[in-house]
Amino acid sequence: MKRAAFLTLLIFFFNTVSLWGAEAKKAIEVFPSTPFYQYIIYETLAIFWIAIIGLIVIIRMKLREIERVQKLGLDAPVKENNEKQTGGDNAP
Amino acid sequence: MNCQRLKDWFDERYDIAPLRKFARKKLVPSHRYDLWYYTGGIVLFLFVLQFITGMLLSFYYVPHAEHAHKSIIEIVTKLNMGWFFRSLHHWGAQLAIFTLFVHLFAVLLLKAYRKPRELLWFSGFILLGVSLFFGLSGYLLLWDERAFAAVKVATGGAGAFPLAGNFIKAFLRGGIDVTGETLTRFYAFHVAILPLATVFLMALHVFLVQIHGMSVPLSLKDAALPQEPFFPNTVYKDFTVWLVILGIVVTIAVLFPPEIGLKADPLAAPPEDIKPEWYFLFLFQTLKLFPGDILGLNGETIAVVLVAAGIFILFILPLLDKKSSREEKSPLFNLIGIVYLVYFLVMTIVGYFS
Repeated sequence: MKRAAFLTLLIFFFNTVSLWGAEAKKAIEVFPSTPFYQYIIYETLAIFWIAIIGLIVIIRMKLREIERVQKLGLDAPVKENNEKQTGGDNAP
Repeated sequence: MNCQRLKDWFDERYDIAPLRKFARKKLVPSHRYDLWYYTGGIVLFLFVLQFITGMLLSFYYVPHAEHAHKSIIEIVTKLNMGWFFRSLHHWGAQLAIFTLFVHLFAVLLLKAYRKPRELLWFSGFILLGVSLFFGLSGYLLLWDERAFAAVKVATGGAGAFPLAGNFIKAFLRGGIDVTGETLTRFYAFHVAILPLATVFLMALHVFLVQIHGMSVPLSLKDAALPQEPFFPNTVYKDFTVWLVILGIVVTIAVLFPPEIGLKADPLAAPPEDIKPEWYFLFLFQTLKLFPGDILGLNGETIAVVLVAAGIFILFILPLLDKKSSREEKSPLFNLIGIVYLVYFLVMTIVGYFS
């Protein structure tokens, strides 16, 4: 009796496991499943964010410098000089 | 790097001095609401991203009912970084439409549509409609069972429109039912017709922004607002925001790649709990509110007519809001804007969780 019950449970267990496997097979892998590739992807994402933050810092620094020059009123003569050099608005 | 010779070569042939002058003279007012200015720029950036990722996907996508689903699986599983570009295209679209809605409601509540910017509102509104159709047509290209059923519901809803409903439905589907013909048609819309319309509308929209300049909210129109040059100050700030948005969309694309369902089977029963994409949920939920029969009339037709009327009123709002066009405060239209926003949010949330 015990043996029959054990066998029934065993069969049920393996059937269930195989069904899980079937379910898992249905889902299409939309992301690399290999841990190696996953590690590379997450690492690249971290580097990508570092690059973005770096670029933002550079832009902010550049912007701050531009604003400082604008506050001092030094940008207007620079523009005029540039215009003279490149022909500017009054170029023939 | 010194490109003086290249600049000289260009200057000898083309006179871009007026453009330079315009870029230098253009000023942008600074105030506590100027954060909302960036939503328009974000939409522009996301559309460019969508064009790039869409072009890459179109190299490998096969627009045929037999091969469409399989070609997407191959893009995702076999192509190098294919899963990433598909995910980026998907999340870029979601974020673009989300930002478009934010932009629309910001313009609505800040009354940026008022005279003389009515055409800006109209072009932006049509652009939102085009974007929603972009979303619907792109969704069907997946050709899985959920997309198939959702498009069937959406095009069926368009069929409930009085008089022209059947024509619209047949035109969208390319026949009586959603079939491979619909896929071909939606592909044509998605990669040819809608991009052309988008480029035209965006160019018009940006051109009108350049003509009218940035709008200032009514509450600040008499204040002496500081102004900053568009170039380079605002351009640099836009770049900063775009970089953050790029980081966000790439991160979401990596962490949450969208699933692919089973291949669509026109003869199979639709899967349970079919819902459209989140940006159609407010429409879907509104249609669900109406009973099938109202005083002997088709409930769905009444619902579609009321929804269309609501959207049309929103479209012509700048023409109705006479006080704003005279630069006077119009609390009624503030209330109308808030009602539209709350309705959209509540219906979307209810639709999502129901």
